[in-house]
Amino acid sequence: MIQHHPDNNMLLEYASGSLNWAHSLVVSAHLQLCPKCAAQLKLLNSIGGALLESAVPPANHTDDTESAFSRLMGRIDTNENVVDRVVEDAKNPSPSREPVFSSLPPVVKKLMQRNPVLKWRRLSKGLREARLKTGQSRHEVAFHRIAPGNKVAEHDHRGKEITMVLYGSFSDADGVYSRGDFLVREPGEVHRPTATLDQECLCLSVVEAPVALTGFLGKLVNPFLSIKPQ
Amino acid sequence: SSPQTRDDEWSTLLVKVGVSRDRVAFEKLFNHFAPLIKGFQFSRGGQSSAPEAADELVQEVMFRVWRKAPSFDPTVSSASTWVFTIMRNCRIDALRRNSRQPDTDDSLEVDDIWDERFDNQPLVYLQQSRVQITVEAGLSSLPPEQSHVIEKAYMEGKSHSEISAELGLPLGTVKSRVRLALKKLQSTLVR
Ligand SMILES: [Zn+2]
Ligand SMILES: [Zn+2]
Repeated sequence: MIQHHPDNNMLLEYASGSLNWAHSLVVSAHLQLCPKCAAQLKLLNSIGGALLESAVPPANHTDDTESAFSRLMGRIDTNENVVDRVVEDAKNPSPSREPVFSSLPPVVKKLMQRNPVLKWRRLSKGLREARLKTGQSRHEVAFHRIAPGNKVAEHDHRGKEITMVLYGSFSDADGVYSRGDFLVREPGEVHRPTATLDQECLCLSVVEAPVALTGFLGKLVNPFLSIKPQ
Repeated sequence: SSPQTRDDEWSTLLVKVGVSRDRVAFEKLFNHFAPLIKGFQFSRGGQSSAPEAADELVQEVMFRVWRKAPSFDPTVSSASTWVFTIMRNCRIDALRRNSRQPDTDDSLEVDDIWDERFDNQPLVYLQQSRVQITVEAGLSSLPPEQSHVIEKAYMEGKSHSEISAELGLPLGTVKSRVRLALKKLQSTLVR
């Protein structure tokens, strides 16, 4: 059972199209695993439908509907043989034979197709990261893998961090998070995730600004960031 | 005719377009939705409300409606909700084209992230056109300060923080107005 969800405000921004690209990506991954939020999205979309249905056409709307329609049909006729981008189920890229990449939500499979080579780098003992290209530069989007039973260095963030569990589970001082769980850490919040003992954990994470490590390791890596930003 | 049968009519026409590429049905849909799309777009204000921009949006949205009609399922959404999601994706597409990022070409597309074909919900027998009508009625009974932020979010495409800056309200106030509005709309659906 998924315990942690994006809040209604974030879902509404997603449905109305104002939520930024990287956050929308991770919300979409959550929606594909969470029937509860998918049901809420239906309501949010139908608000858009209701507002469209009650929209007031502009007063100076004098444009000839008939000619607009024939212009459209002209375009349709010249494009009739162009087939829509083939919507195939994302093929499994090579790393997906590993259990952590089994049964990913469709949007994450697509993301992996666009990032066929994952470059894993070791951040600390038991923690690896692979950055993902998503077509925007405001946020860092990455996979994080925590080895079974391993602790991540205590750290905080200069910006908001959103994490979604794709495989396995981890815990921090506030709770246990498993597949589908969606959690938001605000800037300055300190936490120390720990993977459960029995299996590896894979997360999709979106961070606004580079992670600032504050633990012992952090002081070594990032001495100038040892003052915790507020 | 009652609003309910009227909305069912658009769904029926859309199914006809999807199943048999019915051009007469499509023209009726065009005549209904083109002015509404313009009305929706006009509320955005600023340069995007130029009449030419609204005309182009109509062309793009209705082009996609024609193409995607075979995947329309009236048990999943009403016609107007479905057209709304297509229009929303067109707007996101347009915004992205205007602010090209260096690595966008091989990256995800709008329809990958806002994927309305994906539906993992257990089948619930809610008549979608009825949901639509109930939400329409619910919206018109919201207190003005709540419906105002909802309209800004959807019609002007503004985020909560943009609305808070524009109205000079604390972000928390905007968020709670949105939450209260949603609570109210939800309660009308459960009844
Ligand atoms: Zn959820
Ligand atoms: Zn963190």
